[in-house]
Amino acid sequence: MAIKQAFYILVISAVIGFGLNLVRADRIPWVGQWRTLHTGEGPVKPPDPEPGDPPFVTIDQAQLEFNSGGTIFVDARDPEEFDCGTIPGSVSIPFDYLPEGALAPFFDSCFGGIPYDSRIIVFCSGDECDLSIHLARNLQAEGYTDLAIFFGGAREWERFGLPMERRVECGE
Amino acid sequence: MRRIIDNDYLTVISRLVVGVTFIWASVYKIADPLSFANAIWNYHLAPSSLINITSLLMPWVELLAGIGLILGLFYRGSILLINLMTILFLIALGSAVVRGLDIDCGCFKAGGSGKGSALEGFLRDIPLLALTLQLWFSRSRKWMIDRA
Repeated sequence: MAIKQAFYILVISAVIGFGLNLVRADRIPWVGQWRTLHTGEGPVKPPDPEPGDPPFVTIDQAQLEFNSGGTIFVDARDPEEFDCGTIPGSVSIPFDYLPEGALAPFFDSCFGGIPYDSRIIVFCSGDECDLSIHLARNLQAEGYTDLAIFFGGAREWERFGLPMERRVECGE
Repeated sequence: MRRIIDNDYLTVISRLVVGVTFIWASVYKIADPLSFANAIWNYHLAPSSLINITSLLMPWVELLAGIGLILGLFYRGSILLINLMTILFLIALGSAVVRGLDIDCGCFKAGGSGKGSALEGFLRDIPLLALTLQLWFSRSRKWMIDRA
């Protein structure tokens, strides 16, 4: 009797829990993109940001925000590197190719006119590149308020087995 | 011993304490499944493909079994599930302590204030298990809807 009742409770829980996830606004995907573990090296530990700079986030935080779906990821690397593999759904804004003159309309067109308080995480290839920091400073100067830098970048994302979006096949 | 376990008053107090604990624990998880999924992931135990499903299902099992326990509705099923979950939590928390994981327990709240360590969660789970086992073995069936 206990097992039969437990089974009923599980079924009712599944119906409510999964059903609610179909209709609620902050629904989560059935299968999340959680990284696999035991990869040897631990996550990259970012340094303290310079005063006034946007904060750094670790891969844990980047992964959590990626799963929640509300965050815009911005790839600051060159277009070739972006095409070879990036965080899925990222916007490509190569820092080295920023146009001369006013940046605000350019950023607006890159993002398709998102509000200035949207959550944005900027990254480049990894801990040796500073494109993400430079780009984040520019975004901040143009009035974007909720910025962060994923310091580990695309390389750490890939190293931890998280999904990559590849537009072209690239050799190593 | 048998008489203590079967005591009507002890049993009904245990039902209230355990039931309220499980209902309370389910609230933030139902409100914020992503935070709970992240808490599960932190344990590095569950396969990543099952994490989100677990975070959607388990809080409702906690809530319904907690209600079932207090009302005495689907009582044996509720107490079975609650015992299984308590043992599962004890294993997960214990393994986190042994592996030296510095993680939030994820039991009652996601991150932020009221953060409890895995060791605190483990130690809190031991008296909880004593109560759930007492309920499993108690033959008292007083003040239950199932009997009516």
